[in-house]
Amino acid sequence: MNPKLNGILTLIIAFVMQIGFAQQQTVTGTVTDENGLPLPGVNIVIKGTSTGVQTDFDGYYLIEASQGDILVFSFLGYTKTEIAVANQNTINVTLAPGASELDEVLVVGYGTSTRRTLTDNIASISADEINEVPVPSVQSALVGKAAGVQITQVNGKAESGIKIRVRGVSTISSSQDPLYVIDGIPLINSDENINDSPINPLISLNPNDIASIEILKDASSAAIYGARGSNGVVLITTKRGKSGATKISLNTSSGWSEETNRRDFINTEQYVELFTEAYLNAGFTEEDAFADFNSFAENEADWRDGAVDTDWQDLAFVNGSVNDLNVNASGGSDKTQFFLSLGYNKTVGIIRGNDLERYNFRSNVDHQVSERFKVGVTSSIAKTQINRLANDNSFATPLQAIAQIPFTRPYLDNGLPNPNTLYYNFLNQEVNAENKTSIWRAIANVFAEFYITPSLSIRSELGYDLNVQTAETFDGRLTESQSVGGFAEAQSVQNEKYVINNYFTYYTLLGENTNLEATAGMSFEDDRRKAQFVQGQGFPSDDLRTVNSAAEIVGGGSSRTAFTFVSYFARTSLNILDKYLLKGSVRYDGSSRFGVDEQYGFFPAVSGGWIVSEEDFLMDSETLSLLKLRASWGVTGNADIGNFASRSLFGGASYNGRPALNPSQLGDPSLKWENTIQYDLGIDFGLLNNRISGSLDYYNKTTDDLLLNEPIPSTSGFTNITRNVGEIQNTGVELVIDTKNIVSTNLNWSSSFNIAYNDNEVTNLPGGDIISGQNIVREGEVLGSLFMVEFAGADPENGDALFVRNTLNDDGSRDRSLTNDFNEATRVVLGSPFPDIIAGFTNNLYYKNVDFSFTFQGQWGASIYNAGGRFQSASADFFDNQSSDQLDRWQEPGDITDVPQARLFGANGTQSSSRYLQEADFIRLRNITLGYSLPSSFTNKIDIDRLRIYFTAVNLLTFTDYDDYDPESTYDVQANSNINVGNAFYSAPPAKTMTVGVNFEF
Amino acid sequence: MKSIKTLNLGILLMAFIFTGCDDNLDLEPEQDLTPEAALGSANNIQNLLVGAYDLAGQNEIFAGSYNLASELIANTGELAWRGTFQGPAEFNRKQITTGNGFVADYWITSYAVSNQANLILENLDKFEEEEEAARVEGEAKFLRAAVYFDLLRFFSLPYKAEGGNSQLGVPLVTTGVSDASQIEYPSRNTVEEGYNFVIQDLTDAISKLPGSNPIDDFYANKFAAEALLARVYLQQGNYQGALEASNNVIESNSYSLTGNFAGAFNNDGNSTEDIFAWQITTQDGVNDMNVFWATRKFGGRSLTGDVTIEEPYFAVFNDEEDDRSMFFYTGDDTGTFSTTKWQNQFANIPFLRLAEMYLIRAESNFRLGSSLGATPVEDINTLRNRAGALTLSSATLEDILEERKRELAFEGFALHDVKRLEQSIDGLPFDANSLVLPIPQREMDANLNLEQNPGYTN
Repeated sequence: MNPKLNGILTLIIAFVMQIGFAQQQTVTGTVTDENGLPLPGVNIVIKGTSTGVQTDFDGYYLIEASQGDILVFSFLGYTKTEIAVANQNTINVTLAPGASELDEVLVVGYGTSTRRTLTDNIASISADEINEVPVPSVQSALVGKAAGVQITQVNGKAESGIKIRVRGVSTISSSQDPLYVIDGIPLINSDENINDSPINPLISLNPNDIASIEILKDASSAAIYGARGSNGVVLITTKRGKSGATKISLNTSSGWSEETNRRDFINTEQYVELFTEAYLNAGFTEEDAFADFNSFAENEADWRDGAVDTDWQDLAFVNGSVNDLNVNASGGSDKTQFFLSLGYNKTVGIIRGNDLERYNFRSNVDHQVSERFKVGVTSSIAKTQINRLANDNSFATPLQAIAQIPFTRPYLDNGLPNPNTLYYNFLNQEVNAENKTSIWRAIANVFAEFYITPSLSIRSELGYDLNVQTAETFDGRLTESQSVGGFAEAQSVQNEKYVINNYFTYYTLLGENTNLEATAGMSFEDDRRKAQFVQGQGFPSDDLRTVNSAAEIVGGGSSRTAFTFVSYFARTSLNILDKYLLKGSVRYDGSSRFGVDEQYGFFPAVSGGWIVSEEDFLMDSETLSLLKLRASWGVTGNADIGNFASRSLFGGASYNGRPALNPSQLGDPSLKWENTIQYDLGIDFGLLNNRISGSLDYYNKTTDDLLLNEPIPSTSGFTNITRNVGEIQNTGVELVIDTKNIVSTNLNWSSSFNIAYNDNEVTNLPGGDIISGQNIVREGEVLGSLFMVEFAGADPENGDALFVRNTLNDDGSRDRSLTNDFNEATRVVLGSPFPDIIAGFTNNLYYKNVDFSFTFQGQWGASIYNAGGRFQSASADFFDNQSSDQLDRWQEPGDITDVPQARLFGANGTQSSSRYLQEADFIRLRNITLGYSLPSSFTNKIDIDRLRIYFTAVNLLTFTDYDDYDPESTYDVQANSNINVGNAFYSAPPAKTMTVGVNFEF
Repeated sequence: MKSIKTLNLGILLMAFIFTGCDDNLDLEPEQDLTPEAALGSANNIQNLLVGAYDLAGQNEIFAGSYNLASELIANTGELAWRGTFQGPAEFNRKQITTGNGFVADYWITSYAVSNQANLILENLDKFEEEEEAARVEGEAKFLRAAVYFDLLRFFSLPYKAEGGNSQLGVPLVTTGVSDASQIEYPSRNTVEEGYNFVIQDLTDAISKLPGSNPIDDFYANKFAAEALLARVYLQQGNYQGALEASNNVIESNSYSLTGNFAGAFNNDGNSTEDIFAWQITTQDGVNDMNVFWATRKFGGRSLTGDVTIEEPYFAVFNDEEDDRSMFFYTGDDTGTFSTTKWQNQFANIPFLRLAEMYLIRAESNFRLGSSLGATPVEDINTLRNRAGALTLSSATLEDILEERKRELAFEGFALHDVKRLEQSIDGLPFDANSLVLPIPQREMDANLNLEQNPGYTN
């Protein structure tokens, strides 16, 4: 056992021994909650003294007090109550739940806290904000709701991966995802796709089961999760039952969806015109052009007279739909409470062939065994079935159809897809292929909480998370697997994790008006993953689609891997006079992922707060109802790298059926976690009786010892090695303003606005630049900056594509002269893949029985490089259909345009350059909801407590100058890359979804 | 007091839980071996050798991709590039950028083979049998020579037969890396040093290797090394060396031409004339010759095949009966021609065919005015006979070189032949900068000791 922890534990035990001293008159009584249940552990202090006691398990207390003393009753989450002692000997008190937002209980790691006493920066999102948003993923419901938290769906596929970035990115090669913890148990968060198109690992969660989500943003709150806190921590708390009459709630909604945007492509007539010109410009004849057109068309009239004019986007996009049904029942007795829920969601994507169906079941039960002993269970099972699409970089993915020629027929007369298309016709996928993924997820958690004394408890949690996924693909003879007579693959992954948490929670009074809370414990986590796959080819029939029917097994394999964490943690906080707040925490984390000598890391944090408005000089202020100053400092880590990244390894291989060995990685045995030191300075304020409230935070987050896949000369036989080198800094400001604009009997209107600025900079990179594709990691620049040759339009003289040389002059400036030789121009940083400003603006209006809410989100400062532009907008370089802007090409000397002369096979400006780079600023009406609750005078007649009908929409409006598909649509193959960020490649736009729904409550 | 007891119990429980977890941090990988194990036994060194074949036989280099660069850079209209990949399109245009992904793969994969060979060569002492150690040494050196020879041919200005080859070659790496501390930042050796290194490796391989490989006949043997040496000498214009080496291979009688021309291609196993071939199976390896040269129906990337054979190529044929002039097929409804050489998606890719040895011997004999083994025209007629073409009564140098084009077309010889014969490509002289691949940008970025080839900036 760690000696430091030993000390803390001893300290806690010492506190237990503390006993209150008595005075004159004996006052006794019972403290209960609003339901009449006894409240153990309520603090009772004589105002202005250090004398205090706590209620026992029956809510009973005994205190010596004098007449005229004022007893102050306080308990987490309840309104503080003061009662003067007269000559009575019994004072029974019923505490009311806290009315102010400041008394709202927040979940923090291994415990709870309230806004009032918080010294951290934690964003909290309640169930109301999550439910009813018609998106299949939990994370998407959070968009625009938390300051400094950027949430982006990779692209428009229904199961698409989602990136959450808390306060910028602080790692280059390790995961940038936050740690997800559900009901105290860290979740498996691995994307198990088999085709480079990510699947959201949390797709199995039912948003309707969630009671609240807390995002721990600063180090002071996240450091309790130590080596995994650097990217922030997302704490998900599921709904639990409350004692009382059983409530049944039913929510059903249905809707439709379409793509947020389409692009303009040229039609048959324009194609013939543009390409004929391109042939001539390239030294071919008109006859050459017509001969080729004939080969792409079935009949000459198809192109010559425009008899066929296919809009391939029409075929790639389909009308999507959403159907969602949720039923839950909750209630219970004094001893036992339950929450049961069933959920069903079917989302048909906006891209042909993509849909998702999910079934959820949950049961959460809490039981009070005795006054000291409480047990509970949360369990959930989910099954998700997805019809998937090929990744963005394959001909089989629908959106690549935009490359097909408009006068090519999509279908033959017999109804089958036309096989004679320029590129493989993706329509075959629908009739001759399948790509199904099934996911089974079981998350269960049993806890037992034992109160040794009313203020000292131990809680043990055993959590289990099982993620099983089976992916099955088949491609028949009409598909790209034609040459092998059909190809099928079946792959299965079993990932399981168990987690044990044991921790003590203690709180007491120390001296005059000083509360002390302490938590100490340990956690053990064991994650194991197994995977198997088999591939076969040569099928007797396109109707036999499992590997069983394959003539030949051509691939197979199995693998096992694991990682473990052993952690110890402690936290203590002091609350003096409800004015001065102090908190400190430590975590000591060990992981199997690191080098043998570096297996343990130490993560401390301290923070303090001063509630200035509680001071006498502000107590009576009419305008200022809250002013709190906060400061925090802490260390967190990032351990999310390969399980054995610190080792040099050789793996199995084969050559012509003979076994072989090949080096698989080069490792650094001194590898350890990244260290992030973050400090945060914040002000919480409330004005006019908290009609206006909010917070302003400044943070500085410095990550050093980066876990970096450092490129090394490949003459070594390897291309990179994971090392602890380099430093990244994120500094930023977050502002949150909540207002109650109108508060009246019939009309209530509140707003919440958040805006965050983040400045990301790579501050140290000893190995020099890391360049991958059009992204660069370079000292002094934003991580993954967009790096390429600068395009300068068409030469007015001859229509050649021009580039800015940008070579360095002797004086350090850049040569801004132009050249038509791409190889003479050097690459420069031309944009950032990350926004520097993100904002959200939510409004809620209630007028009588009508409710109306909407959220805008916005971001500024990011750019996207459309890697597909080299084909889509390429001055007719190849036969791919061209975007309409290519019609503005240079045609004769003197033409001033950004589109170089059309030249078939001419590569006239089709190299990777800023020709395909665009700013991606946008403002979007993220969601809007209009609801109407039927009057209770009516619903009571039909025995319904509440009946509400509503309309809600997601992504209804988007305001942007970005003219590719969508500023939130990026290349899925690179979704898991930290460096290749801000690239698009035939990437589908997100869905715009509209639903109508009904809530019933019985 | 009851609560105190419970407290003690709790502390005891915690103490129990807090200790004894540390062992759980010691997990071992189940898919991989440590360097100590992998380099520690004769069996594993042999496994690494097979792994080196596996790496060299990757589609990124010898299983198709290198050949594509050679054919497309040398293309002056005999071929058309119809694929979507920008890398090969750049080859075809002779405007290659430093970010070209194909070029990066040539470099990276070649040096992975080099490193593996070095690790093997440093651990020959693990073999108890001297004979076994010699064989493994020979095989590793054969593979190492093969990758360096192509690195030199692609990434350096041409070898000058007259000597003075101080132009930049490639870094010659001879120590293995299996540990982070061994990473080095080498600079480029000269072309002269490079060729000497390759010749030394092949000479060693010839002396160490048996005439047939005792493990399996698809692994390299003495004649594979000698055949490659003949190719190297020919590239240098060392006709005496090329003549002797090619003659030794032919005279060994270990190989014979297949009965007909078609028999030399699309084979799942080695043919009788394969001195060495890269092994492709349905389960292992990707045949990039098929991927880029076959139509979609046969496993290629596009309906027509990414590379089609165009009219100007067919001018090389002067005999309608020549089987080689008919070794083409057309795509469905496309009217374009594809070579039949790469029709089988899972066929081996011949690397050293006996036919090439006849051509080298014929050319070398011709240039030297000798007739070692056979006269030039006899060797040419050997090939023409097999292809069903009329035999020639005499052969000029031009006849021999044309025969080379008929026989070895689309097998990756085009660019290297242009360079050694000092011909031009679309007006670009054989030693033009743009006919040399750039050192990949990623490598320039990772190793500041490297100097870029002339003509490349970014």
